[in-house]
Amino acid sequence: MRFLSTTITSFLLSSACLVSAASSWGFEDATLTVQTKGAGVGAGVKEKLSSSAPLAKSVKLGATDTLKLLITTTDGKKAKQPHQAFLTLTDPTTGVEESFVFSVKESGKGKVDLTQKDLPFQFLTSSKPIPASIVIGSFGSSTPYQARVFDLNIARDPNVPLAVPAAPERYTAENEIHHIFRDDPKSPPKIITLVFTAAVLAAVPILLGVWATLGANLNHLSKAFSNAPISHALFFGSILAMEGIFFLYYTTWNLFQTLPAAGVVGLVAFLSGSRALTEVQERRLAGLR
Amino acid sequence: MRWLFSFVLATLLAAVHAVSYTGSRLLVVLEDAAEKEKYGVFLGDLESRGYHITTESPKSDKLSLFKHGERAYDHVLLLPSKAKGLGPALTANLLLEFMKKEGNILLALSSENGTPSSVNSLLLELDIHIPSDKGAVVVDHFNYDSTSAAEKHDVLLLPFPKALRPDVKNYFGGEGVIAVPRAVGQVLGNDSPLLAPVLRAPSTAYSYNPKDESDIVEDPFAVGAQLNLVSVLQAHNSARLAVLGSAEVLQNAWFAEKATLNGQAVKTANRDFSEKLTSWTFKETGVLKVGKLLHYQDEGVSKKLNTSGALPENNPQIYRIKSDVAFQVELSEYSKTHLVPFVPADSDVVQLEFSMLSPFHRLNLTPISKTANATIFGVSFKTPDQHGIFNFRVNYRRPFLTNIEEKRQVTVRHFAHDEWPRSWQISGAWVWIGGIWVTVFGWLAFVAVWLWSAPAEKTVKKTQ
Repeated sequence: MRFLSTTITSFLLSSACLVSAASSWGFEDATLTVQTKGAGVGAGVKEKLSSSAPLAKSVKLGATDTLKLLITTTDGKKAKQPHQAFLTLTDPTTGVEESFVFSVKESGKGKVDLTQKDLPFQFLTSSKPIPASIVIGSFGSSTPYQARVFDLNIARDPNVPLAVPAAPERYTAENEIHHIFRDDPKSPPKIITLVFTAAVLAAVPILLGVWATLGANLNHLSKAFSNAPISHALFFGSILAMEGIFFLYYTTWNLFQTLPAAGVVGLVAFLSGSRALTEVQERRLAGLR
Repeated sequence: MRWLFSFVLATLLAAVHAVSYTGSRLLVVLEDAAEKEKYGVFLGDLESRGYHITTESPKSDKLSLFKHGERAYDHVLLLPSKAKGLGPALTANLLLEFMKKEGNILLALSSENGTPSSVNSLLLELDIHIPSDKGAVVVDHFNYDSTSAAEKHDVLLLPFPKALRPDVKNYFGGEGVIAVPRAVGQVLGNDSPLLAPVLRAPSTAYSYNPKDESDIVEDPFAVGAQLNLVSVLQAHNSARLAVLGSAEVLQNAWFAEKATLNGQAVKTANRDFSEKLTSWTFKETGVLKVGKLLHYQDEGVSKKLNTSGALPENNPQIYRIKSDVAFQVELSEYSKTHLVPFVPADSDVVQLEFSMLSPFHRLNLTPISKTANATIFGVSFKTPDQHGIFNFRVNYRRPFLTNIEEKRQVTVRHFAHDEWPRSWQISGAWVWIGGIWVTVFGWLAFVAVWLWSAPAEKTVKKTQ
């Protein structure tokens, strides 16, 4: 639009200043035909193009179709050969432009052929119709012509795969990557754990009960302590202490704290244990066990 | 008018202390000393910006880009010459070698003089293509200067270029029109990310050879925006090469010339554009500098960071997997005279990669704060659950900005034996813990019974 207004102003200005510059490029007798391969001559679409307004409906170009555009370029009213006569397609989404050169004879009659093979892949993948404009210009003072004349609707054969080249490398920000962490280890439901824990803990009363029915007792406790009080106290105490050391090792201590303590307690258990077991043997020899 | 004023002001300011980030030795290669007059204003501007200009003819024996194996100049301006070759001191190989040593080259072509063979092969090497025939020019019947090229339409009048992409900063923007007389159009190869167009031809322009017999252009070299009038290359080592399609852009005759574009009188702003082009090419703009790079264990408490520029970086060497880590980096941009805080383009971000072979994390860095001449970018994240040797890597490459590749290597270790959750914290382990306690209790009870149990009733014994 802005371009049009500038052309108009420039046209007005130049016509005001220079009488000779009044002529401007354009075209007439433009016919557009789309011929499908195999169909008879004259079977395809045939449209007349106007240099002042674009074609109302878009032109469909199938996979085997050939678009043929015949124009007569004019300078002012006279047919004339320009230096530049292009059919320019512009992809509205990517902005890719491709120009096709009219082969214009000296009489101003020009022709351009277009098939899907001539088009870059951006046009073939475009979902919107592609505006096609005609550019006519030449040296000298005549005003050049550029206007959208029709929209090209490219109908691809969906069964034919399209070779789309990989996008070339460009320096830009890449997609973010967030590391996906492995799942944390999971425990079974607490209720199941608690049931089985209870079952395991129930082993203690069961064990004690079974021992009791078999006649286990602590009746010799006072006898043993009266015979060898120190060794019995030390022996049982050292076994308790050893369990305590294991508990501390489990919770807070390291190995270097555990080993000397275990050594001391083990020695006490060894020395006091031999005395305590001697006392047990004496009871057995006395027939008390 | 305002741009002119601001430009004059900028030039005056720049005259005081502007200089390139990398050096001020500029070699101007000019065949004919008499031609120097034509570039007088341009060279004067460069000198006032602090460059030490040496002018040499390509034929001169003294001319050498290197001295004792090092660059003898920081920048080279190659102006067109009539000779077909540029002599033994300016072969394509030597020019590439000059760029490998981080020298910058501004290459001005001209359609009147043929392109020298060494320049031709240099451009071919870099995947920049120019018409093979001497004399090919870019014409546009829509945007030409009708004062000086009413008939030939080969003096293009173009607005200043816009940003290449929304995420790229524009170092060549300005107000006014640029006159590009008789330009050699360039077509850039599509594969290289190092190439970038600066000034593209308008969509109606095309390149043709006036010596062609035919009255109509039949097979143009290139058409429309595929044609570049100014294009640049920035190598991996950030050495810069700018190809200017028309050396006349730099000449006095076009610096502030009256021209007519579509019937409207305009004044060319070539002086502004050539200032922008040279300051980019010779690294006065678009140069990035990495300041302090910090990373630390984010312990959730305020910690005094080693942000002082005077102290060396003192970053941890080792992290544990799945620990919170914070990262910070200072980036500055050199802007003609001094370093300013770097601000990326609107839709652009600086990214951090935490990588071992391939990135495990790639995170956008956000500007946290600004110092007088640096922006501090930062991000916090959790180290991945994979031990190994990782890198904090900032690989920031964008068109028109010098490349940044910063790496800091750290070890990521797995959990130490005492960093795991204790067994009682794991509900699934309670059954086994219960089993141990039952065993402990059973053992103590057994010892007590074995030591102190009296025999059972006789009757029981008898039945046995």
